[in-house]
Amino acid sequence: MLSDTYLPFAIFAVVSLALPVIVFWLSRYFRPLKVIPKQQETYECGEVPIGEAKIQFHFQYYMFAIIFVAFDLVSIFVILWALVFSDMGDIAKIMLLSFLGILMVGVTYALKKEEIIWI
Amino acid sequence: MDLWSVSYDLTNLLVDIVNFFIYGLGWLIPGSIGEAFDSLGDWLASPGVMRIFTILMEIILLIVVALLNVVTLIWIERKLLARFWDFRGPFYVGPLGYFQNFADGLKFFLKQIITPIKADKFSYFIAPVIFIGSSILILGTIPIGPEFGITDEGTPVPGSVILAFAIFAVAPFSILVAGWAENNKFTLIGGMRSAAQMMSYEIPLLLSVASVIVLAGSFSFVDVVEAQADMWYAVPLFIGFLVFLVCIVAEVERIPFDLPEAEAELVEGWTTEYSGMRFGFFMMTEYVRGYAGCAIAAALFLGGWNGPAIIPDEFWFLIKAYMVFVIFVWIRASLPRIRTDQILDLGWKRLLPLAMLNLVIAVVLKTLGVF
Repeated sequence: MLSDTYLPFAIFAVVSLALPVIVFWLSRYFRPLKVIPKQQETYECGEVPIGEAKIQFHFQYYMFAIIFVAFDLVSIFVILWALVFSDMGDIAKIMLLSFLGILMVGVTYALKKEEIIWI
Repeated sequence: MDLWSVSYDLTNLLVDIVNFFIYGLGWLIPGSIGEAFDSLGDWLASPGVMRIFTILMEIILLIVVALLNVVTLIWIERKLLARFWDFRGPFYVGPLGYFQNFADGLKFFLKQIITPIKADKFSYFIAPVIFIGSSILILGTIPIGPEFGITDEGTPVPGSVILAFAIFAVAPFSILVAGWAENNKFTLIGGMRSAAQMMSYEIPLLLSVASVIVLAGSFSFVDVVEAQADMWYAVPLFIGFLVFLVCIVAEVERIPFDLPEAEAELVEGWTTEYSGMRFGFFMMTEYVRGYAGCAIAAALFLGGWNGPAIIPDEFWFLIKAYMVFVIFVWIRASLPRIRTDQILDLGWKRLLPLAMLNLVIAVVLKTLGVF
């Protein structure tokens, strides 16, 4: 059963998530707790911070992000295909390889076509 | 070393000691309370509870061993980098400065933790927990020896390769959350860079791993390593090994790919507003991820614990992982940091075709029956 097979790993997950929480909580009894208001200001190299940082950020890799979303799913598919590789017929092997080939052509086209891919 | 039986014996000993007192109390106190103590003792010694406690003991032993390795890796890096840059490195605390890292950890532990008043409190707290927790969780997937890993009564967890990479990929998400929650321009840029970096290395990495899985035909580290008894996969899949090394350096965010915390441009990147033990844990976690990356590289491509039986299997594995880490340090000492658009170009225009070529080589080798 799945929960039985992965039980050690589930316990490991709980332990590893609890570890930082426990250490942060323990350090409360050793570290100084007195807070000076100036300390709590946002750090901006000593200057008085200008404005908020929760802004509409212009991330410049939009095209790559779109290709990534498509390709990420495909890579999961490839890994599953790789697991059962030796049990498959020739057609299944050729099918996925040609699918990957088509995808590569698509990626090359997308990267070539967008002259200014770095928006 | 058989981790399961060692931890089973240790747990058995502990439960025996505890039960000695519990049964003693049950014998001393008459009536229903004494019977309750007796049944508590029986419950502790029952197989189901023993199993849980043994797994806990395994986890503790594994984390301790892994963290000792991590501390050694930090020491190796400090010493080697110092030699590369013509100074001596730490030498005050302990023999050859080995205990310097413990001293640094203690110092971080005693430092004040400052929460910025403008930060988003909940995500500011939860992001490091996810980052650190997920990084420690990777250690659980990697067996150091044939029997030295998280096992359940001797059976290792199946699908550990895929689990390791799934957990590896969680960290950029928590970095993005942390960068946003701190409400600081430097951290925001750092978080966004982390996302860009993840986009560039993830697919070549997974494709080079897929080529290993084609040859090995299993998701389990133990099976993958056993399949390399005759020949390391780094030999037939040399291109894949190179792609994997570049991608794993990007994955663990070391120079030349430490864009999210480019300390020359972004102060300390996404960790700018974190202080005290949180920052100390981030520093340690970087090396936990570095150790995990080296160990995965050793297991997937360098034959894991296969080697002449002069020294125990576990030492072969660690020697290989340390060699990979020395290469990492060498890269760090030699190369400058690259830009965000450069890493995207590198990932999509160079590494991806190479990873595809490598996958085709693996498919041809498997179809011809070489492996």
